[in-house]
Amino acid sequence: MSQLATDNASTQDRVIVKKNVKPVTSYLWPALVYVLLILGVIIVVVPLMWAFAASFTPNHKVFEYAYPFSWRALFPVNFTMEAYDNLFERGFGRAVGNTFFLAIATVIIGGAANALAGFAFGRFEFRGKQFLFLAAIMLTFMVPVDLTAIPRYILVNNFGWINTWQGLLVPGLANSLVIFLFRQFFAEIPQELIDAARVDGASWLRVLVSIILPISKPVLVAAGLLMFISQWNSFFWPLLIAPRQEMRVVQVEISLAIGQYGTVWNELLAGSMIAAIVPILLVMPFQRYYVQAITGTGLE
Amino acid sequence: MRLSRHIIPYLFLTPALVLLIVFNLAPTIATLVESAFVLSLRSGERVFAGFANYNRIFNDPVFWKSLQVTIVFSLLVNPIQILLALCLSILINQKLPGIGLFRSIYLLPIAVSLNVTAIVWGLMLDQNSGMINGILTQWGIARQPFLHSVDQALWSIIVIASWIGVPLWSLFILAGLQNIPPSVLEAAKIDGANAWQSFTKITLPLLRRVLAFVLVADTVANFLMFAPILLLTNGGPQLSTNLIMYETYRRGFLYGDLGASSAMLSVMLVIVFIIIGVELYVLRGQD
Repeated sequence: MSQLATDNASTQDRVIVKKNVKPVTSYLWPALVYVLLILGVIIVVVPLMWAFAASFTPNHKVFEYAYPFSWRALFPVNFTMEAYDNLFERGFGRAVGNTFFLAIATVIIGGAANALAGFAFGRFEFRGKQFLFLAAIMLTFMVPVDLTAIPRYILVNNFGWINTWQGLLVPGLANSLVIFLFRQFFAEIPQELIDAARVDGASWLRVLVSIILPISKPVLVAAGLLMFISQWNSFFWPLLIAPRQEMRVVQVEISLAIGQYGTVWNELLAGSMIAAIVPILLVMPFQRYYVQAITGTGLE
Repeated sequence: MRLSRHIIPYLFLTPALVLLIVFNLAPTIATLVESAFVLSLRSGERVFAGFANYNRIFNDPVFWKSLQVTIVFSLLVNPIQILLALCLSILINQKLPGIGLFRSIYLLPIAVSLNVTAIVWGLMLDQNSGMINGILTQWGIARQPFLHSVDQALWSIIVIASWIGVPLWSLFILAGLQNIPPSVLEAAKIDGANAWQSFTKITLPLLRRVLAFVLVADTVANFLMFAPILLLTNGGPQLSTNLIMYETYRRGFLYGDLGASSAMLSVMLVIVFIIIGVELYVLRGQD
């Protein structure tokens, strides 16, 4: 039909014919997008669902539906809390507590130090600013901390900080990425806001606490999430610095469990799920802030 | 009071800067210096050794093998991750119903640590009863050894690293895509460009900065790949996954040879500096 129409029609008719055909093909692209997205979702979600289900499964049944594969592998059909009970009986709660303590301390102490530095870089002109920013912030941002772990280890050893809270906490407090985030945010605050308070005779510290902080929720959430999650997920440094059992953090505990309890799969997965669920629950409600926090520097 | 104005920024900077200098900057310099010493963890003796540590590692076939594995790994994992991340970022940039939900789901791997990923995928790839083999046998494909095979272990590590890496880097590219003014793409459409043309002629060139950043950041991150090796392969089988970061750990902390370990880290640091130097050069050319 359309063949006939195009054959003896003017160009105007041809446009109309094309327009009539278009809706069919225009559904193809969204359909392809959804198919690919769902394929990706399967790759993302299936391992997590299986691990979650297996952590609530008796150990001898962990692989029951994984090999040969059945959809039941993704749901805790043989539900038991056994793995979690055993895990916490063995003192996993201590590692969870340690990690929470470290992460919260990092957010509070590190957050204060990084915010002050970000404020100085974002709002003040002073001698050596450019140099300090390049040398201290950019350089430390670009050099991965794991690469310099051995001299840091020797330094911390000289301080007598092996197997101590200071050793775990202090080297990770200052974070150039977080300073960077604070600087960006503080630099965009209107000057009038600060001037008004300064005229009233408020000190800089007071301006920071009572004027700046209340309007800085986005950067505080972003920086807080970034510091909390990077401390929660940190592994290499705690592995080197605090191997003693009472000091272990979650990531170290699960990594050692793979050697010691390598065949107690449900406990290994239960520990992993606890290690995973905390950052997931924190990120989900604050997705936008978190995405901004991690991508913030890439676009500079 | 007015005088203090000059001191105040320095006061604000002091806590963070002191920490950064002591725990980040000094160790960076020390990594280079320390490699000239032989230090025993047990006796605590520290003796100047000049280039002896370098001589030792450069004459060590295990080090060269490790460097070779790392280079092969980098040449595979980085293009794969960036290409897939580019595809994913285009998919989640579509204005379609429910796209927000997809974006949320793709954030899950980013929140999860590499350790957890390695543990879960290690069991998924189990050669006897892992789910991947469960699916393969259902499709009539023989069970694969994955992490236990010289040919497949490195590929397994690539899969594990990409499960986090692809969604992570796609976020950066997505941010880049969203920075492209819609008017530019509209204009191209009016001029008669098809989707492929406007992608290659407009979108890709405008993404160059972001892609350059992602390429460098991804290369550096994968260059330091460590946790999955420690947890799953210990560098094996037959050193086929003995990535350089794991080799430095093995030398320094398992064998107590911090001198050789420092020398390797210095070599790595120089490589990272070269990568960053190239990044700065490329990005400067864009402005």
